[in-house]
Amino acid sequence: MSRDQILSNLRTSLASSRSWLAGEAQGASHDIPPYVLPPADNLADQFTAELRSLSGQVYRVGDDAGAVGQIGAILAEKGASQVIAWDMREIGLAGLPQLLAARGVALAATDIQGGGRHDRLQELEPASICISGVEAGIAESGSLLLRHGPGRPRLASLLAPYHIAVLRSSQLVRGLGDALAQARSRYGDDIFTATSNLTLITGPSRTADIEMTLSLGIHGPQEIHVVLIEQAAAAR
Amino acid sequence: MTTQSISFYERVDGALHDASLKTALSRATERFIGNRAGAIGALSDEAALRDTARAIRAGALSRLDELLAQLATNVESRGGTVCWASDGEEARTYIAELAKARGVRSIVKSKSMASEEIHLNHALEEAGLEVVETDLGEYIIQLAGETPSHIIAPSIHKTREQVSELFHQHLGVPLTDDIQTMTQTARTALRQRFLKADMGISGVNFGVADEGAVVIVENEGNARLSTTVPRIHVAIMGIERIVARMEDLGVMLQVLARSATGQKLSVYTSMISGPARSGEEDGPEEFHLVLLDNGRSKILGGEYAEALLCIRCGACLNACPVYQAIGGHAYGGVYSGPIGAVLTPLLQPDLPEAYMLPQASSLCGACQEVCPVRIAIPDMLLRLRADAVKAGKAHPVEKAAMRGYVMTMNNPAVYRAGGRAARLGSRLIGRKGRIRRLPPPLSGWTHGRDFPTLSGTSFGEWWEEREKKRKEAAQ
Repeated sequence: MSRDQILSNLRTSLASSRSWLAGEAQGASHDIPPYVLPPADNLADQFTAELRSLSGQVYRVGDDAGAVGQIGAILAEKGASQVIAWDMREIGLAGLPQLLAARGVALAATDIQGGGRHDRLQELEPASICISGVEAGIAESGSLLLRHGPGRPRLASLLAPYHIAVLRSSQLVRGLGDALAQARSRYGDDIFTATSNLTLITGPSRTADIEMTLSLGIHGPQEIHVVLIEQAAAAR
Repeated sequence: MTTQSISFYERVDGALHDASLKTALSRATERFIGNRAGAIGALSDEAALRDTARAIRAGALSRLDELLAQLATNVESRGGTVCWASDGEEARTYIAELAKARGVRSIVKSKSMASEEIHLNHALEEAGLEVVETDLGEYIIQLAGETPSHIIAPSIHKTREQVSELFHQHLGVPLTDDIQTMTQTARTALRQRFLKADMGISGVNFGVADEGAVVIVENEGNARLSTTVPRIHVAIMGIERIVARMEDLGVMLQVLARSATGQKLSVYTSMISGPARSGEEDGPEEFHLVLLDNGRSKILGGEYAEALLCIRCGACLNACPVYQAIGGHAYGGVYSGPIGAVLTPLLQPDLPEAYMLPQASSLCGACQEVCPVRIAIPDMLLRLRADAVKAGKAHPVEKAAMRGYVMTMNNPAVYRAGGRAARLGSRLIGRKGRIRRLPPPLSGWTHGRDFPTLSGTSFGEWWEEREKKRKEAAQ
């Protein structure tokens, strides 16, 4: 069987190169600081500047009501009638379900599993807006970490041209290493027990495949709107 | 594949005389070099991060047997299926038979160099399946019937006019010179392919042993769609692309993005462990991981094991003066540039002329300088050259030249006489200090460039003359 053959080949090969490789592995510590840039004064400022430099939008609001107001403004501007969203409890933004109901914005049925997958995808396709929460925000790169799973569909940050993400300043960390360490300490060995997918999102979908010219929205959302609630900072 | 029907020299020659390729290459590589320098330069401690990246990769390779088994076990415990493929044939057969067994008709693919390496598309099409590349660059070259010319930017050799013409021909849209319009055309055309696809095939940037996860890095979102929308996801991973712990990604993703495109992180990084769990509303019902050996387990035991540290960032391509001049296609193999000149003779030894690729280097060391895991590429290229000579593959002219060189350098009279003859000849055929065409067997040298005429006097003669004048002046 190929498994045994490959593993056996590897062991034979490693008999001659393992010591060299192990020596190289000891050439440096495998644990570096969980961030890679010089410190910034304020994580929210750094996150905002980084994401804006990638053509992402960041709205800094003081509380949930402010966030709902901002999302309302975006929905109005885009003329959305249907959104692909996480379960409202997973987003956890007070007043969001009421806003959508008041605006007559429908929540698309996001379950595509089982039969009729293709048909349900076609029904989701016209939606113009995605709304999701996040697991963490990374200041050094302006990235969002999304932990998908039940009530947190991946398509709610992917399928529509505009993605709105709700981020709280208490979720901000400095570097990617911090975000991964946080996930580890929070979930231990169960990071992938209830979900099959973690995704880092850093700005809008982009490509430079034609003449190295930057072009946004090739497959994923062409606009990303992060509503950053800075309540925790005020309480500190 | 068309690139393999003509010789390496002809491909290089064609590339050197292709003006639009030259423009595209210099535009792309300059941009990549500048972006990379900025992103790497911004790091608090660039040297430490690269040292750590190398240590992480070397550590993973030193336990590759154990980590690969751990990865496979964890993938299976998450409900995924693992295919161990010794070679391309096993991988192709597994995927084609899986597609057949599941009634798959249409397949969307996101960028995978491993799949290029085993010519997967061709095999799937032979099996009657419809395969669409969804990365914009890959889509463009698929429409054009070509192969990638750069690891990161597969279509950098195409101009906007050529892309517009392809879209016009294949998609029936009007010609345009607006790149945003072309991007939207591709989005619309490919979106329907995604929604109707039964299977998504992706590559893998890193396999994470402790979590049983695969990591896929991209900017467009096509990999996310390919791994989320269709009911089956097949990921193809070269067995060396492994890290031990999820925490290692904190280093590897940073150096990959910064080295490849100069981004702090790529737009999308998906970490995927198995198929959708119960209660997940999207994601695939089935997840298959194809672990591709295809010669790698052998390479690990040889003197080129270091090449397996490579994370496919493409920085060495951009930095290489030879790549900058000839582009990716001239190399003939799937992997181009300095690392391609190392990998191709190892991974595709049957490719005619693969042994010649290590010659396509000035050994200037720029590749090693930018490599995020500090692979000693120039050393390996030198050793590969020596291997080719030992295997009797050196060109007859080169062998004769080397014999002549040895004889000349061992015999001062021959050396002087040869020098005089060369200087005389050079004066006879040179114009205004340049020689446009050297006579055979040296004519190859002037095929793509001029040769300067030799000075009328040799250094030895000049020195003698100088000493004589000095002595006269002193008297």
